[in-house]
Amino acid sequence: MSAVFNLHETFRDDFSYRNSARAIRRFPLPFSEDSYMYSVNIEPHLPGPPGSVTEFAFDVDEHYVAECRERAIVLAAEPLRYQALPHMMSSQWDCLELIMESLARDYPTHFSLAKQGNRWHWINRPLQIDQHFTFGDTATLPRQPLDYITRQAQGDFVVMDQREGDLWTEAGMVTTQADWSLDFDLGMTFKEWHGPVPLAHELGVFDRALKFLLNLRLGQPVRRLNWTMTIHPRLDTSPENYPQWGTDRATVTAQNAGDLVHLRVELQGLWRLPRSNAIVFGIRCYLVSLRELATVPKWARRVHRVLKDLHPALVDYKGLTRYRDAAVEWLAPFDDGSPTTPGTAPE
Amino acid sequence: MNDAQTIAVEVIGIEQVTPQIKHFKLAAVAGGSLPVFSGGSHIIVVMQGADRIHKNPYSLLGSPQQLDTYEIGVRRMEESRGGSHFMHDRVVIGSRLEIAHPVNLFGLDKIARKHVLIAGGIGITPILAQLEDLHGGGVPYELHYSVRSAEHAAFLERLRRREGDRLHTYYDSEGQMIGFETLLATQPLGTHVYVCGPAGMINHVIATAKACGWPDSHIHWEQFSAPPVGDAFEVFLARSKISVQVPPDQSLLESIEAAGVEVPYLCRGGVCGFCHTRVLELDGDLIHNDHFLSEADKAKGNSIMPCVSRAHCKRLVLDL
Amino acid sequence: MLVTGIKSKPVYAPLQADTRGRYHLMLGMGVGAAPLLRVIFEMQSAAARVLKNTRVLYVPDGGSATPEIERFRAAAVGNAQTFPGTPALLEEFRSTLARSLMGTRLYVAGTESFIGLAMKIALEFNLNKDEIRAEECGTSARRVYCIHCRATTENVRTNIASCVGCGRWLLVRDHYSRRLAAYMGVMVDAEAPGELPPLKEMFL
Repeated sequence: MSAVFNLHETFRDDFSYRNSARAIRRFPLPFSEDSYMYSVNIEPHLPGPPGSVTEFAFDVDEHYVAECRERAIVLAAEPLRYQALPHMMSSQWDCLELIMESLARDYPTHFSLAKQGNRWHWINRPLQIDQHFTFGDTATLPRQPLDYITRQAQGDFVVMDQREGDLWTEAGMVTTQADWSLDFDLGMTFKEWHGPVPLAHELGVFDRALKFLLNLRLGQPVRRLNWTMTIHPRLDTSPENYPQWGTDRATVTAQNAGDLVHLRVELQGLWRLPRSNAIVFGIRCYLVSLRELATVPKWARRVHRVLKDLHPALVDYKGLTRYRDAAVEWLAPFDDGSPTTPGTAPE
Repeated sequence: MNDAQTIAVEVIGIEQVTPQIKHFKLAAVAGGSLPVFSGGSHIIVVMQGADRIHKNPYSLLGSPQQLDTYEIGVRRMEESRGGSHFMHDRVVIGSRLEIAHPVNLFGLDKIARKHVLIAGGIGITPILAQLEDLHGGGVPYELHYSVRSAEHAAFLERLRRREGDRLHTYYDSEGQMIGFETLLATQPLGTHVYVCGPAGMINHVIATAKACGWPDSHIHWEQFSAPPVGDAFEVFLARSKISVQVPPDQSLLESIEAAGVEVPYLCRGGVCGFCHTRVLELDGDLIHNDHFLSEADKAKGNSIMPCVSRAHCKRLVLDL
Repeated sequence: MLVTGIKSKPVYAPLQADTRGRYHLMLGMGVGAAPLLRVIFEMQSAAARVLKNTRVLYVPDGGSATPEIERFRAAAVGNAQTFPGTPALLEEFRSTLARSLMGTRLYVAGTESFIGLAMKIALEFNLNKDEIRAEECGTSARRVYCIHCRATTENVRTNIASCVGCGRWLLVRDHYSRRLAAYMGVMVDAEAPGELPPLKEMFL
């Protein structure tokens, strides 16, 4: 499936990002029922139906070119949004291989990869990149391998080393995050990294998730969905730039919530990496405004109910305190109280 | 863990490297490269025997850079229940086997400041692949390899050629022994030790390292247990509501699988903890043969690793 | 946003001798002398030979160096040394680790900032939680890393603090990085500029 790219949309300043009708229909709604609480909602990352966001290992959609441009803007201002500790080099090559092979296999009109032994030739047509390099030799690429390839991919990537029965957050490209900092969290254990998440520790979510991930197998990737909300279609809601986006939250009213408030869904994929035995954690962000979401009646009813009854600790953690009521009020006219069908499909 | 994920391979080379060890080269039936792996990984080899299926773990000993073949070394076990005998007696060039994707439960620590590798006999196999990962890495390492005699030293030429003076060999036949106390008492801070070999050697290395003040997290070892033979008994699977007979020469896990019930596993050697199962009822004693449960957990008697452990009883009820 | 109750916040426990170790390296600051001496007496009763392999590096608080260092020496510690300040001590600590052998146990007693800086160096030598023990004593003033300008503000005792780098008022969270030896500071009035919570003494 080849996408037509929205070449000129932006995720800052004038926020011209929009979803096509097709992009809305394939939006990965994270609520399979009318209420929400944490769970270890991990499932095998198997190919989904054609056209869905899980059809392929890495989803390339109409926002691809614009998201790569947005990433470059963030990195130009803050190079430390990409970091890798020195012992993570073999995992960097693992990631490059995984992403290049997946994209070339799944989107042959956009990407191609030719190999002669360790001499690789990579072509990325949407970004007009044509690169010959030697796999394993960092000097033959313009940047470190993880930096190089994740500038050509949508979503954030975190690489976790496995040792001492734990997973250590020790490399990553993080420019489209929901309020966490790679720079601060680099070097942390799995539970330290997730320290700021409320309730889930007490529910044992991270104990179970860690145990599961330590045994994650090669060739058997898994995925889960997570979500929050963001004002404007702003990808870079980093703590680093909180002074720039924090004031947005106070601008929401019941009148403008449909356009300002966006549901932000992360499609998180986890792969065991072969050379390094590390795990790469892909965090792909999808944004949809409440107005776009409300074009699907079932989703409008469901999101209205989820937000209305959300646990107070989650309202706080997800940063919704200032505008949750406005968003609920904006959605209320779409909810006639009729039941929703099970599952997340648009109906 | 899931047999749908196996890869069909053909045996393309067999070499008798010591009186007891055969070296096998495996290539993908479909052609092309086998999956990339890291040093210390093992594969489960699935062998279709005359009356049952054997699934044994073997360490990958080749270079993670050379993926046209996988190499494994198989020691003929004296009291084998079939797997190693099958590999030694029935497998010939051209034989077809199934293998699972590699799993690494014996990986190198990536922030170690030095690695000390200790191998006894067939225990050299995972360490051969670890050495490939260490070449050119800039972190100092040394290898101590103990064997019965020169005749039993598998892969010695390969090691001499590549490791030079990092290799230290010890022959039992000449009364040479690794001086574990001196070796482990003089390592710089941040060293990790890796040991693979007979149970006695592994236990001795662990005990000596601890006596020298090493914390557990710096001591790495791997030993796959072969499931020992035992008495026959009956197991009732409470959730599946079926009863299964476990014969003397078949493991609990194999018997459950043969009855069509899937149990998740990674190593089938009592190491990974993946097949950990709750015991609901028992009219006898559990015989724990795994390296995963603590002594305290074993004493509690309320769970079992069916890959290598069994029971001395009439009837065992499991939460499966 | 979670401010307190974050799992990355280090948890300290009273120091205890770990006689499974062969070598014992102790770092102390100010009132941290007391817990170290407690460990030394504990070891004396366990095995006197242990003390020969014990080394103490110590920074006194204020001028009264002599009493503590004399007490370490009187306790038959093989090697006790005082330093004029934390940087000099940490420099000696680093070169000691470079010469140390497996089997070493590290004991740190002092302020949380002192512990954090020592741990940061220990991390470079691949010492892990099994090899390090730390007891917090003295002030619990915090090192705070500004997530916006990346400057570190030392000795923060209040719930909010003005960043030494960018001057923003930072909310001090319990989220702690061992790599940076610091807590996270996030602009407190980003959502409503100028709306500052009352200044409170928190970390005394």
